[in-house]
Amino acid sequence: MNFTMHLRLFLRSLFIQTGWNFTKYQNIGLAFTMYPFLRRIYQHDPEALPSVVDRYLENFNTQPMMASFCLGALARQEERLAQTKTLAAYKERLSEWNGIKRSLSITSASIGDRLFWGTLKPFTLLLALCIWLLVGINFFEIEIPGTFTRWELFGAAAAAFLAFNAIALFVKWQGITLSYHAVNNGCFGLTKFDWNKTIYNAKRIGILISVVLLLWGVYYFVHDLEEFLGVQFITRAVLVLFFVSISLMTRDLRIPNMYVYIAAMLAFSLVSLF
Amino acid sequence: MTAFLGICLLGALLELDTTYAFQLTFSRGIIAGPLLGLLAGDVLTGLQVGVFTELLFIDINPLGGMLPPSAAVCCTLSMALYALNIPIYFAFFFGVIGSILFSVCEIFVRKRRGNWIVHEEQKIHQRPSRMNQTVIRALGMSFAGNLLFVLIVGLAIGPSFVKLLAHLPEQLQLAGRFAYMAVPWIGLATLISAFRLKTR
Repeated sequence: MNFTMHLRLFLRSLFIQTGWNFTKYQNIGLAFTMYPFLRRIYQHDPEALPSVVDRYLENFNTQPMMASFCLGALARQEERLAQTKTLAAYKERLSEWNGIKRSLSITSASIGDRLFWGTLKPFTLLLALCIWLLVGINFFEIEIPGTFTRWELFGAAAAAFLAFNAIALFVKWQGITLSYHAVNNGCFGLTKFDWNKTIYNAKRIGILISVVLLLWGVYYFVHDLEEFLGVQFITRAVLVLFFVSISLMTRDLRIPNMYVYIAAMLAFSLVSLF
Repeated sequence: MTAFLGICLLGALLELDTTYAFQLTFSRGIIAGPLLGLLAGDVLTGLQVGVFTELLFIDINPLGGMLPPSAAVCCTLSMALYALNIPIYFAFFFGVIGSILFSVCEIFVRKRRGNWIVHEEQKIHQRPSRMNQTVIRALGMSFAGNLLFVLIVGLAIGPSFVKLLAHLPEQLQLAGRFAYMAVPWIGLATLISAFRLKTR
């Protein structure tokens, strides 16, 4: 695969979830992404193209950033398929192609969900929150005090954006190369990275920063000793402690945060009216 | 009203990034919030709404076919209603409700889209190069759907709530402020469990 084709697959893979549906999931996206590659392979046999594209229009679902591992592996397997001379060999390779598509999409989705949604997204959120608090943007107050430059306002969001996408786009780009050149016993390049160790370390750092951030929030309320034990302080402290406890409890009950907030809004409204 | 329409347009565009195009996190609360705040003329409030949205939705991820409430829609509705002079603590509440409603509508649309996909597959089989048109049409329809949703919900709530606002008792405003203040604490407590090694 040359650089131009690699780039085309990479850019088209940004649309892998276009047309997502509950019947065949990312089938349109996969076929759209692979189309230039398929057209090049079957340029001498254009009549075969519709039936080849039909195979890519079957069920497909994976994590969008990790889809690149499927793209490279499927491209390599398609090349082998196109070169088969006998029907028996074709059937065997087609069966392999189906197996790779199914198993690799599940494996890479499992890694991608844990890495990108479960770790990197909250981690970059923490990064942004820390930067905003360090430049003095106190989002705990309804009317945020102070005036800020554009850099201070957008800097943290830009840092989170760049941190997330640097990793996501690197994995996306490398995934195509690794899986295209990898041999089967290398799990199509998936074993090139130590995913578990990365996730484990990021989560350890993340939990540490979260605790520090929570403690900073508590400090913010108690640092002014003149206000300490005042009515406003006690009201806010009770409110904060109540919601932190409720949030920790609802985690175990698997109740999403948004319902806690909606319940709080309704409960406060009812209490305030009666 | 110009700011309202601008916010709805940008919000509908940003929402495409959640699923259908790019997934470069433009639709995240911390990115979408300040951008929409820029259009509303109050970046700080946009930033706060963005942070609160992320913290509130941090415990639900798009795993498998699961559809969490859209952070982009929540920020869009919150800032669009804020631009219509609704206090941010009420606007955010409607934003959260709207984003939950949006995910219900999105599930319905994705189920119905299956029929359209079958129709398109037949055309692609006859002419494979038609795939590009299919993708462009799918993106266009998704954008139109997003825009229609935020406009309908925004216009259904906005003007009527502005009229109601003058008659709302002061206690209700206080209740709204209290609930809004609780959001970062609910979210921060969740962040700790989000980093536990065994999480959903």
